Amino acid sequence: MRRFYHLLLRLYPARFREEYADPMERQFRDEYRETPGRFARLRLAVRALADLAVTAPAAFARELGHDLRYAARAYRRRSFVTALAIAALALAIGASTGIFSILNALLIRSLPFQQPDRLVELVLPPTNAASGRAAFRAWRDASPYLADAAAYAPNEMNLSLTREPARVRVAETTANFFRMLGTEPEFGRGFADDEDTPGRAGVAVIGYGLWQQLFGGDPRALGSTIRLNGVPLTVVGVAPRGVDYPEKTAVWTPTIYDLGRIPKTGAFAWQTIGRLRPGVSLAQASSRFEAEVLRAEGGHRPPRSEFSTEPHLFSLRDRLAGPVRSASLLLMGMVALVLLIACANLAHLLLSRTTERRQELAVRAALGASRARLVQQLVTEATAVTAAAALAGMAVANWTARLAESASPAQLSARQYAVLDWRVIAFALGLAVLTGIVFGVLPASLIGRMQPGPGAIRSQPGAKGSGVSRMRALLTAMQAALTVALVAASFSMGRSFLKLLATDLAFHTGNVVTLSVSLSGTPYETNSRESQYYAEGLERLRAVPGVESVAAVSNVPLLSSMFAGGQFKLDSGEQGKLAGLNAASPGYFRTLGIGLVEGREFTDRDRQAAEPVAIVSDDLARSFGKERIIGSKLNLGWGMAPRLATIVGIVRAQRIGGPAYETSAQIFRPVEQSSPEFATFVAKVRGNPESYLPICRNALQRVDRNVPVYGVRTLDQALAAALARPRFYTTAILFFAGFALLLAVAGAYGVATYSVGQRTHEIGIRLAVGAPAHAVRGMLFWQSMAPAGLGMLAGVGAAAGSGRLLQHLIAGAEPIGLRIGALAASVLATASALAVWTAINRIFRIDPTAALRVE
Amino acid sequence: MLLALSEGERHGYALKREILRRTNGKLNLGAGALYGSIARMLERGLIEESEERPDPHLDDERRRYYRITPFGRRVAQGEALRMRQLVELAENCLGLPEPA
Repeated sequence: MRRFYHLLLRLYPARFREEYADPMERQFRDEYRETPGRFARLRLAVRALADLAVTAPAAFARELGHDLRYAARAYRRRSFVTALAIAALALAIGASTGIFSILNALLIRSLPFQQPDRLVELVLPPTNAASGRAAFRAWRDASPYLADAAAYAPNEMNLSLTREPARVRVAETTANFFRMLGTEPEFGRGFADDEDTPGRAGVAVIGYGLWQQLFGGDPRALGSTIRLNGVPLTVVGVAPRGVDYPEKTAVWTPTIYDLGRIPKTGAFAWQTIGRLRPGVSLAQASSRFEAEVLRAEGGHRPPRSEFSTEPHLFSLRDRLAGPVRSASLLLMGMVALVLLIACANLAHLLLSRTTERRQELAVRAALGASRARLVQQLVTEATAVTAAAALAGMAVANWTARLAESASPAQLSARQYAVLDWRVIAFALGLAVLTGIVFGVLPASLIGRMQPGPGAIRSQPGAKGSGVSRMRALLTAMQAALTVALVAASFSMGRSFLKLLATDLAFHTGNVVTLSVSLSGTPYETNSRESQYYAEGLERLRAVPGVESVAAVSNVPLLSSMFAGGQFKLDSGEQGKLAGLNAASPGYFRTLGIGLVEGREFTDRDRQAAEPVAIVSDDLARSFGKERIIGSKLNLGWGMAPRLATIVGIVRAQRIGGPAYETSAQIFRPVEQSSPEFATFVAKVRGNPESYLPICRNALQRVDRNVPVYGVRTLDQALAAALARPRFYTTAILFFAGFALLLAVAGAYGVATYSVGQRTHEIGIRLAVGAPAHAVRGMLFWQSMAPAGLGMLAGVGAAAGSGRLLQHLIAGAEPIGLRIGALAASVLATASALAVWTAINRIFRIDPTAALRVE
Repeated sequence: MLLALSEGERHGYALKREILRRTNGKLNLGAGALYGSIARMLERGLIEESEERPDPHLDDERRRYYRITPFGRRVAQGEALRMRQLVELAENCLGLPEPA
């Protein structure tokens, strides 16, 4: 019992324990002795426990207050260094937390599905929904690795109810789509098993957001009719909040086996997802899938062109995380470097505080303060700094997550990057506590080696060869290495990004407004009057004051994701490279500033009844391998019957995906001759294009109220969106590198000031016995620079060895290489040399006799 | 505690027993509460540790003795005065029954 009380006393803070543990224990012993009977003694023990529960926290609070006040006084004397250390830690903790929140959202937080880890996506399986309902179901039922499989085809469609029509994302699915994912509709029902049979009455499940938007959250939405591209569907259910899979879908309808039911345009893809059989691992499923594909292909893999995708089985979670995953992991690594550098700075700060206070601490120890008490003081000091930093860091984290959200948003709304998630907060707290403890305990451990005695009180702290100076040298080297690696990475990123910015897209984005429409399911399509709509739209836009030129095109650069295309032949037999099919109205190339290499643009004479014509991009023209291509006939027929068009012009090939992509070969037809069901109007305007957006939208909307106008933006905005991710990553890394550089230089200055300052006495003696001042300066300079120099070498090595890692952040980023590494090292070397030299010179302004009198 | 120390210096446990005696067993301070209060009163200068020790035969040398400071005495008086005024006020307003 008494031993138990002795252990309990350890719960009191160090100073209190030191003062009162003995008398308290003695008192307990006396009372225990004086208390007769087991029951009374038990009561005594219970009372002691209650007493402890009340008084130990109070004692802790009191001592914490003491220690904090003491720490505040100590830090105020070095306010600049302290502020820098706190800012560094806040930034590092904040940025790591922000990026962790992204990783948390993408990789850790659960998907809004049942057992999401068992869900897979199958790319190019041997059988998909295109094979038909019976075949797909038979394949699914016979699958040795899938318990269930579903399919969907995503698209965009015009949605009309009663009010203004809108453009929404639609997934045409199999009936078991929701059941397979294991997510129940918020209310209403999912699809019945036979509702995906072609010809059944049309039903739809709508997304939570759309339900709020269209029906104001009214449950009577069930049973009402919506129209997708003109086809009526009955709403039978509302998807739960946060479920918008795939790709921000707002309406699901089980028409995948009956794709003709809802008229639509553009290319579409059948996607297959599945749930693994119980007991089958992802690796096993993957190998069985590969074997199945091989068998279906007759035992040998046909050679695939660079454009085709390989069959593969992915975990759905990884598939949804996409490229953001590796980029975020890499960014996390970079932030970890900054965190390490910030920690090194904090360690420097605390180390110099510790060594400065060695005398004080030794005196206190000699006066009887226990080691526990001194360690408690130091840990409190370190924790105070990191706690302040962590608090400020949460603001930084929130800001980071917002920035990342705008640069590369999550694919599912349920996975939005949230900082106020318990895992994220726990991560930040853990980080703060860890850095606080590590860098509080590190200096504190040095105290352990201090023997209270005259030696410790008089000794020169930080003298060469001592543990402290070795630790400092190591920290400096580490800091230099990490900084060089970061700076080198930022140089490489910056260069790649500048290259992206300077990339010639072969079209102009300035002062261009875009507006898209789709005529699928509208009377224009059914009566083949698309051209009439386009002509009227062009007319109305042309009438807007300030509009210089207008055109319509079916696939506008930067906005179109999917293209129909193929490899077409000239009627003389030459085959060209894979090319996308596009339709453009007269004036399109002029409006976007696409250079005409040869021949002519489309004109108003290229009507439906006139001779069919085409314009091709120059890379396609070259690929035919024919000297003169203008006037040749191009066969655009898919099947047996040739559909010939005369090539009348060649234009420069454009990077339609954006600066990070290669140029795409294209074949343009006149809008009048190809009647696309969807088109984007492009208008070149005078002045600020953004002010034209509402005006142009209204103008086009007036052609027909029932045709929604969407994608209203400027081409510059589209370009900015295409560059958002590389811009975000580049800015982030430049910022981190700049900050790391600042920290490293501040660190170098601080260490030099400190270590040289500690040797004032020695310097005084050297000068007094006649050593020339410049020689002493030189010696100090090289001694201060040596650890950083070694660190820099290591940093250059690490940067050069990092290979193509940066590729994950910015397409086309080159490996860092020795040259950039050396450049980064020289930047850091110059900056630290300046800092060290300034620090040494400041010390040398002291009179040597004064230096001798130090102590 | 200040009152209990007013008659001379005592060590912690003796102080606790004196309080117990004076309050007729109503106030039994636990060790943590006792020494927590001692620490606070030391900090505020109400009591101090005394270097004088009673006859070493009578006592354990390691025990610490506390005594009230002049400041502590004034604080105790001031507090008692404040309480007396409060009691008088209550008596005038409500009238107080005799203690049982």
